[in-house]
Amino acid sequence: MFEFAVAGVSEPVQATVPWLSLSILVPIVGALLVPLVPDDGDGKKVRWYALIVTLITFLITVAAYLTGYDPSLSGLQLSERVSWLPDLGLTWAVGADGLSMPLILLTSFITSLACLAAWPVSFKPRLFYFLLLAMDGGQIAVFAVQDMLLFFLAWELELIPVYLLLAIWGGKKRQYAATKFILYTAGSSLFILLAALAMGFFGGGTPSFEYTALAAKDFGTGFQLLCYAGLLIAFGVKLPIVPLHTWLPDAHGEATAPVHMLLAGILLKMGGYALLRFNCELLPAAHSQFAPLLIVLGVVNIIYAALTSFAQRNLKRKIAYSSISHMGFVLIGVGSFSALGTSGAMLQMISHGLIGASLFFLVGATYDRTHTLQLDEMGGIGQKMRIMFALWTVCALASLALPGMSGFVSELMVFAGFATDEAYTLPFRVVICGLAAVGVILTPIYLLSMLREIFFGKEKEELVSHTNLVDAEPREVYIIGCLLVPIIGIGLYPKLMTDSYRSSIEALVNRNLGAMEQVISPTAPLIRGQAPVPAVIQAPAVGAS
Amino acid sequence: MPSAEELAWLIPVLPLFGAVLTGLGLISFNRTINRLRKPVALLLISCVGAAAALSYSILFNQLNGAPPVEHLFVWASAGSFVLPMGYVVDPLGAVMLALVTTIALLVLVYSHGYMAHDKGYVRFFTYLALFSSSMLGLIISPNLLEIYVFWELVGMCSYLLVGFWYDRDGAAHAAQKAFVVNRVGDFGLLLGILGLFWATGSFDFQGIADGLQNGLTAGTVAPWAALLLCLLVFMGPMAKSAQFPLHVWLPDAMEGPTPISALIHAATMVAAGVFLVARLDPLYAQFPVVQTVIAVVGTITCFLGASIALTQMDLKKGLAYSTVSQLGYMMLAMGCGAPVAGIFHLVTHAFFKAMLFLGSGSVIHAMEEVVGHEPVLAQDMRLMGGLRKKMPVTSITFFIGCIAISGIPPLAGFWSKDEILGQAFNSYPLLWVVGFLTAGMTAFYMFRLYFLTFEGDFRGNDTAMQAQLLTAVGKDPSEHHAHGGSVHESAWPMAAPLAVLAVPSVLIGLLGTPWNSRFAGLLNPEEALEMAEHFSWGEFLPLAGASVAISVAGITLAVLAYALRRIDLGRLVAGRFPAVNAFLANKWYLDVVNEKLFVRGSRKLAREVLEVDAKVVDGVVNLTGLLTLGSGEGLKYLETGRAQFYALIVFAGVIGLVVLFGVIGGPIA
Repeated sequence: MFEFAVAGVSEPVQATVPWLSLSILVPIVGALLVPLVPDDGDGKKVRWYALIVTLITFLITVAAYLTGYDPSLSGLQLSERVSWLPDLGLTWAVGADGLSMPLILLTSFITSLACLAAWPVSFKPRLFYFLLLAMDGGQIAVFAVQDMLLFFLAWELELIPVYLLLAIWGGKKRQYAATKFILYTAGSSLFILLAALAMGFFGGGTPSFEYTALAAKDFGTGFQLLCYAGLLIAFGVKLPIVPLHTWLPDAHGEATAPVHMLLAGILLKMGGYALLRFNCELLPAAHSQFAPLLIVLGVVNIIYAALTSFAQRNLKRKIAYSSISHMGFVLIGVGSFSALGTSGAMLQMISHGLIGASLFFLVGATYDRTHTLQLDEMGGIGQKMRIMFALWTVCALASLALPGMSGFVSELMVFAGFATDEAYTLPFRVVICGLAAVGVILTPIYLLSMLREIFFGKEKEELVSHTNLVDAEPREVYIIGCLLVPIIGIGLYPKLMTDSYRSSIEALVNRNLGAMEQVISPTAPLIRGQAPVPAVIQAPAVGAS
Repeated sequence: MPSAEELAWLIPVLPLFGAVLTGLGLISFNRTINRLRKPVALLLISCVGAAAALSYSILFNQLNGAPPVEHLFVWASAGSFVLPMGYVVDPLGAVMLALVTTIALLVLVYSHGYMAHDKGYVRFFTYLALFSSSMLGLIISPNLLEIYVFWELVGMCSYLLVGFWYDRDGAAHAAQKAFVVNRVGDFGLLLGILGLFWATGSFDFQGIADGLQNGLTAGTVAPWAALLLCLLVFMGPMAKSAQFPLHVWLPDAMEGPTPISALIHAATMVAAGVFLVARLDPLYAQFPVVQTVIAVVGTITCFLGASIALTQMDLKKGLAYSTVSQLGYMMLAMGCGAPVAGIFHLVTHAFFKAMLFLGSGSVIHAMEEVVGHEPVLAQDMRLMGGLRKKMPVTSITFFIGCIAISGIPPLAGFWSKDEILGQAFNSYPLLWVVGFLTAGMTAFYMFRLYFLTFEGDFRGNDTAMQAQLLTAVGKDPSEHHAHGGSVHESAWPMAAPLAVLAVPSVLIGLLGTPWNSRFAGLLNPEEALEMAEHFSWGEFLPLAGASVAISVAGITLAVLAYALRRIDLGRLVAGRFPAVNAFLANKWYLDVVNEKLFVRGSRKLAREVLEVDAKVVDGVVNLTGLLTLGSGEGLKYLETGRAQFYALIVFAGVIGLVVLFGVIGGPIA
């Protein structure tokens, strides 16, 4: 099928060792073997087993990155193709480029830490770890597969474990939250299936769902717009985009800490990844028309969710809304026609994956001690839990984009990329930058208020008398430490991460800029605006390599 | 062997190394590290000490005419965008490096005494080292973006240190306020940096200035846009250097331990704004309008700070408002296009204000022996008095500081303040009048502080007054236990830094005499030559004489009112003009406005958005859910038949696909 390869897209590099298939199959096979693990019912052996499986998976992905992945190439690498159901055009096609490789690493990394975070789980441990491992494989598959039908299957495969993890181990309102989650995500993923089938069958002939084949097709603009809108809803639910976000605070509010880490650390990134993979890469003509909408929605996300987070009195929901707010930067970056901005969006996903996971883990660890999530019932616990206080402070500062940590770099890249993005008119950029920067003020307000209400001040007598506030144990310090290493590493020297996907992003942005030039888009007045043709010709200067 | 300039990167890295080491130790082996007080203090003092030694050798080289050094590496890149980071050492940087390391070193030694009984001793030292590192990094930053990085980091250290005693509610609120107000300034700074990058494609100071100039002449950048960007960038220094109306965080920040007030909130970090404006002088010099704005903001701040300081009863808050006022002077100098004068005042002020603050810390430390660990009591001058006989070193150094800040020759403050007033007289006569009057107020309030604290009779055992003060802040006097000890001079770790700081407070001004300014000679040799050439006693003496005269008048008034008790200002002024008194005592009502408008306003807005989110957005969702599922039957079905329902959705997907193909199938085929 390589005859479909388009100019500008280099041919896939075949994998010598099937690293990616292994990284998907190892956790899934591992999950299926869980019932065979000898266990006394308290989960003490299963948890070691699960931890080892997730660590092996992590090592496989690291090996894939080190041995089979060349960051300087923009095209597909580590590619594997096996014809699966030829009648349906379904192929087992996996591979990784700059868009997927960092997220695959993130997934296996966060999952192994989540496994460690799940240490105290004692209720139905076998089932819990079974689901955790299944989710690991499903999530890696989402990022690794190169076939849209497979993508849909992987997307769905990961929904069921999340649903069950929410519904069985969740909080008091777990049924409501889990149902809401499944309705939202399953309902919206319908659009993925529709779009996949439509795109695969487009143009007649043997249907093919491989990304390379889809990218080679010349969809009409109308068709692209239709598919784009459908996919935007599907991925907008996942990311989430306001107003499709209301499943998230409920789901996050009820999840246990390890599930929480996976939800915030990986699940939300699936939305951002899919936006880049399908909406930007496969539907460039529609993207150039929808991009201003993405930017506006991004700003709405940032401000709306930051304000909601400020007013929340429930700790978990507060952090959940803060996640939504941070995802706004991903939207702005994706909508910008600049390599810098899109790189920033990518980095923001990775960075939030790490920071969000650490904050949610801390929420869980704090809840284990205080047995309440209501800020009004907490206060002054910093005196007994000093190390916990320190960890919270570091993670909150990371979340409010303190320089020296990854969040700052990614937000700065999005800002700088968008501000210098000549595809948009100056007034539009000024307004958007100004509004998005309001988030810079709002984020510390809600995060520092939160710290103040939890840790500062006099100890609440009622809380102290009812609870045993022991300080962080080594396992907890270790988990946060593991998350902080990449957070600070990227913050100090962002090239560590950005170089791993730089060429892919640049190729993507250049294609989009090309597409924007071809499409005369009277319906998108913000692009081009009053600017005559020369402005567009200048445009590639920003992203040109 | 590499020259000191080549090693300049070590200056921030050394304290950082120490801070990271002890910080990791605190997280991993909390109890053990907390017991190792002396080794930790020694380690961090030697780290900062080594940085100081390096800074002095750099300053020495620069004085001998060594060329500036700049080293850059690529930090981040994407597309055609390349962002360099690195370090630069030039005369301005060398002066600041020497200043910051000196004061940081003295404050570390002082803290060994001041924090001796605090259980957070090691944490305090770690934060101090972290702060020193960030501040030194800021100084050697070669471009705006790197400045922004360290700008935020010093803000974070300030947050951590103001909130150091986190069991106090006041500290918690003050820390948050400091960070958020600074973020408001950073909001402007960030947008300004981005805008300037858009307009000029550069982040470094000279590049921005030249790029903007070219853009303006070529017509690619509109003049209003350039003005706006300059003003946005100025918001950063306004917040960091506590300029009106973003000064509100600084007096509250006095909730932190006193060594912090001396190092961060008087001598170094708050001066970072002035430093940045000096760095951006090539940019601002192009825009007289912006310079006028800077000068006016500086003058308002200068007057506001001094006027509020007149009525403060809290020793540290009095000094804090004095800092606000002095920062206003520095900003006024920047607005007059005289960065050298501004930086000179920054340096002299850093020495005598650090000394004054450390002196106040010594007083508070002593007062705590009598009234207990209650800042409301230990810092209130109504309970002090007569401390001179018991604390000779503190009182003498404090007295020197008062003369220095009042502008009495030949002490440091006279030379630097007089140079600023001289510049203002030539550029903005109206602003000079305000600055001139403020000089009188400064002398008055400083000596008021001195007399109330050190002269007269000791009032610390006045239990009625103690009870009154406690009730005023809503605390129950019966719960408070005074220590009932006696006041005595502080031990050598606290007294020695005071004595050391007294030396530059007296002498350093002589480096900047207008007829032979060694200081200007280092920073800007051409300007120094020009100054020396144009110097005439006929111009200098009347202005200097006037400044000294008004300072002496202020001091005389303070002597009459507080030392000799000849006039009762409470009756004469406060009694006759209650509105003015209330206005000043309530700090121009700015905190009230801030609380009502911004704090409550933002809370209300946030609550309303949450309401909308819960009722409208989520309401629609729940309603849709109810409508589609119809009834309780539907819900039951959902609860029991998860898998079937799920399959149904997938099935519906296929149906939907068929429909879709039916609709759009035609055109495709």
